[in-house]
Amino acid sequence: MARRGQVPMMQPQVIVLKEGTDTSQGVPQLLSNISACLAVCDTIRTTLGPRGMDKLIVDGQGRVTISNDGATIMKLLDVVQPAARTLVDIARAQDAEVGDGTTSVVLLAGELLKEVKEFVEEGVSSQVIIRGFRRAAELAIERIRQLAVSVDRTDAAEARALLEKCAATSMNSKLIGSQKEFFTKMVVDAVMRLDQDQLNEDMIGIKKIPGGAMQDSLLVDGVAFKKSFSYAGFEQQPKAFDAPRIVCLNVELELKAEKDNAEVRVDRVADYQAIVDAEWKIIFDKLDAIMATGANVVLSRLPIGDLATQYFADRNVFCAGRVSKDDLDRVCEATGCRIQSTTTDLTAAHLGTCERFEERQIGGQRFNLFRGCPEAKTCTIVLRGGAEQFIDEVERSLHDSIMVVRRAIKSHAVVAGGGAIEMELSRYLRESARRIEEKQQLVITAVAKALEVVPRQLCENAGFDTTDFITQLRARHAQDPDRFRWYGVDIEEEAVSDLFEKFVWEPALVKINAIASATEAACLVLSVDETVSSQKSQDPMAAGRPMPGR
Amino acid sequence: MSAIYTTDEYGRPFIIVREQDKKHRKTGIEATKAHIVAAKTVSNIVRTSLGPRGLDKILISPDGDITISNDGATIMSQMAIENQIGKLLVELSKSQDDEIGDGTTGIVVLAGALLEQAEELLDRGIHPIRISDGFERACKIAVAHLDKVSDVIPWSKDDTSDLFKCAKTSLGSKIVNKCHDQFAQIAVDAILSVADLERKDVDFELIKMEGKVGGELANTSLVKGVVIDKDFSHPQMPKEIKDAKIAILTCPFEPPKPKTKHKLDITTVKEFEELQKYERDTFESMIKQVKDCGANVVACQWGFDDEANSLLLQHKLPAIRWVGGPEIELLAIATNGRIVPRFEDLSGEKLGSAGTIREMTFGTTNENMIVVEDCANSKAVTVFVRGGNKMIVDEAKRSLHDAMCVVRNLIVDNRVVYGGAAAEISCSIAVDKEADQVSSIEQYAMRSFARALDAIPMALAENSGLPPIETLSFVKSQQIKQGITSLGVDCMDTGINDMKEQFVFDPLISKRQQFLLATQLVKMILKIDDVIVHKTDDQ
Repeated sequence: MARRGQVPMMQPQVIVLKEGTDTSQGVPQLLSNISACLAVCDTIRTTLGPRGMDKLIVDGQGRVTISNDGATIMKLLDVVQPAARTLVDIARAQDAEVGDGTTSVVLLAGELLKEVKEFVEEGVSSQVIIRGFRRAAELAIERIRQLAVSVDRTDAAEARALLEKCAATSMNSKLIGSQKEFFTKMVVDAVMRLDQDQLNEDMIGIKKIPGGAMQDSLLVDGVAFKKSFSYAGFEQQPKAFDAPRIVCLNVELELKAEKDNAEVRVDRVADYQAIVDAEWKIIFDKLDAIMATGANVVLSRLPIGDLATQYFADRNVFCAGRVSKDDLDRVCEATGCRIQSTTTDLTAAHLGTCERFEERQIGGQRFNLFRGCPEAKTCTIVLRGGAEQFIDEVERSLHDSIMVVRRAIKSHAVVAGGGAIEMELSRYLRESARRIEEKQQLVITAVAKALEVVPRQLCENAGFDTTDFITQLRARHAQDPDRFRWYGVDIEEEAVSDLFEKFVWEPALVKINAIASATEAACLVLSVDETVSSQKSQDPMAAGRPMPGR
Repeated sequence: MSAIYTTDEYGRPFIIVREQDKKHRKTGIEATKAHIVAAKTVSNIVRTSLGPRGLDKILISPDGDITISNDGATIMSQMAIENQIGKLLVELSKSQDDEIGDGTTGIVVLAGALLEQAEELLDRGIHPIRISDGFERACKIAVAHLDKVSDVIPWSKDDTSDLFKCAKTSLGSKIVNKCHDQFAQIAVDAILSVADLERKDVDFELIKMEGKVGGELANTSLVKGVVIDKDFSHPQMPKEIKDAKIAILTCPFEPPKPKTKHKLDITTVKEFEELQKYERDTFESMIKQVKDCGANVVACQWGFDDEANSLLLQHKLPAIRWVGGPEIELLAIATNGRIVPRFEDLSGEKLGSAGTIREMTFGTTNENMIVVEDCANSKAVTVFVRGGNKMIVDEAKRSLHDAMCVVRNLIVDNRVVYGGAAAEISCSIAVDKEADQVSSIEQYAMRSFARALDAIPMALAENSGLPPIETLSFVKSQQIKQGITSLGVDCMDTGINDMKEQFVFDPLISKRQQFLLATQLVKMILKIDDVIVHKTDDQ
């Protein structure tokens, strides 16, 4: 099928594209793209803010995810509509870039499209709208930069307070909102432990153990990982050391054939013993080399077999095989040892140490803990909770907060959350728009209106009278832009108040990034006026699936 | 209903989400209500197994295995619940099981009761988040109150009477309460013998549970040593060995074989004879090595063939073969021996020592077990459970595990609250009182929390055949009037309501955990307003 002609007269059809290719074009295409985006927005609308709700999503394999995180939900929705996919992408980009504000960015992009839908219907060229959007975004971002309050970095206590407040704001909407004092402290402590120049969040290990209450979660100033599979003899090893000498290996300590495909031809029965002895010697040489360094905790990425386990047990050495790579990396980072791929040339210089090593029972599992590490640029958060899905969501929330704190360490500028900054931007854009003579005036006003979606949705989710709150906010911001600059929706008090004083702080960067990417996404959707989707090549899975409509 | 339904300007639906028509979606209050119904159904199933007079459930697995249990976590995990919210409750009880080991039924009943109360509040139009905020506040009060009503019970290695009483409370609801005292004593002894009192750490890996059908529950015993479900390799070997010196081997009793692939070509008769001779020589030198180091018993992880077996008999070396990895380890720990990987490494000090090793024979069946007793190190113990049938043995094992967890918890933290729902009632009163001082909507949620706490004593009374409402109101009024927080539901009908006198104790951390976990789970369920389920084909 070629293009569906809308010409009234019958004309011979010219087939340009392969049969089955779906094409849609023009304004109707634009409009249907916009509606698709709006539909996606509607799904995650209710997750915004402290009174936002969670979504429970069961995927094809029956895995259950319960989440409040915009990016996670968008990913799991499995959106196929091409225009709506852009929203998924910006949510993901926001997640990767700043880690927080994923819901608001999608919401904002959707709202921008909604506000200009009318213009598109009336025949305004999308290029004009796009230019308007870009201009508005520039203005808004500039305004955020002006307004952002910088916190003095030199004062350690001040700086820490700032970080805690930013973390708390990002936790507000999450399941852990009610325990935010507890978790903000944990998150900030964790981030502060990292190398302040790199701030590599991979160095914060998060371990999940079902059982226990959220409050039982703990931060280990070092490394913790689950006891790996052990062989007989393990229980005879000592389980606690003060100032252990740790060696990390990437060596398999097992009695086995050196080469998989090797074959030995034995002529006489007596040769048996010689070969066996040779094999034993290989492993004993390795073990003796390790012992020669004086190590008493041996960790390896590869298995440590029963022979080695018993050998170590005999010599009062602790060992753990099959330790996962990131855990081992963190051990190295914390204790100062280096992973060795061979046991030859192993010297005491390759060993690491910490204050205390012990194996401890946490919940139903036994954990290896390395605490009090000298150059700890790493730490581990052990999360507890009533159900696996529950801990997963806590982990996602903490991840968001960690990202926010990281951002806040890098740039110390903050703005007030709770819709305050959006209201202020909205006021500013409206005012600026009046001085513009072109059509863009309309577009910028539309953006100003779209920005109000954040406070509006906050009210709606909390069950407040939306219109009442928005009009109040608008009035306040118009009355005295300076004094009421940080007025937003105060969910706790169910009122309009100064959120900067209430310490609802967010890094300015989160907002700047959100506005920039939301505008980009909206522009992208608007600039598309035709979709050519070729039919899937004979995909057995796709059989019987309805054709993607326009 | 499709996941996301949109029409374009001509009213034609179009697709946004992959396989949209296969997805199933519920939103808003409808979703929350559906969750509550599911959770209530699940909690009603286990409700009747609460308390000393609670009843058991029989569960038949897809392959026809039968489990009879009173343990909440076991019942829940065997029910194979499909519903998402139901699954959450299963995990909830599993978490309690992992962490505390006891109180797995109570936690599900509490979560169910909380959701039931939440439903009423939702009907009144209160926002779900406000409800969960209220629950959270109430939970904080309740947990703080638990601390207040808790008592420290003194115990020491010599005086374990209070630990014993707590173990009894936990066993009260189980099938083994026929041999109540005996089981409680076993639990206490087992834990105390493996506990590291200084570090307050109890390693459950050192306690092994063996069960054997036959005999009766009263024959259950605690072996300060190891029980191995094996027999001596040759029927003519002695059945009992005193002052045993055990060689614990992880290598097979056969000529050593290289791990590398190898091949031996035998072309002449002479060569074959040589091979045979070599094999016999190796056997003999191995046995000699064992004998030389002074061992009189051999425990081997691998097997040996009949030839080796008869050689061992000739040399009067009783041997046990095919001993599994964990047993080998336990044996080594118990006897203070070392696991020896090859014969060359055998030496006197690597042998384990035990007072007696004997083979136990059961009834008329030809089944034997080897008991290693009076070991050099009493850190490893084995509980040997007997019972009339497999189901009872399994349930007895589970019950003992629960009781041991209780004792473990008390070693970690020796504060207790009173059982028989006394703690719940007292918390309910405390929460109700606090609720009156709250000015916001949360007040309602807090009162509901108090009512949900009342569900536990009600279920207890109901299961014990007492009039639930009367009993609850009586106990509640008595608690307020007399100001004694240890009054609870008298399930055993002894006429005494004071749980302190009845010695019904629960560890504080267990109760605290129940409250916190149940509240957090309920909060999570209340927070969901949108469910997108990917339907499988058969639905």
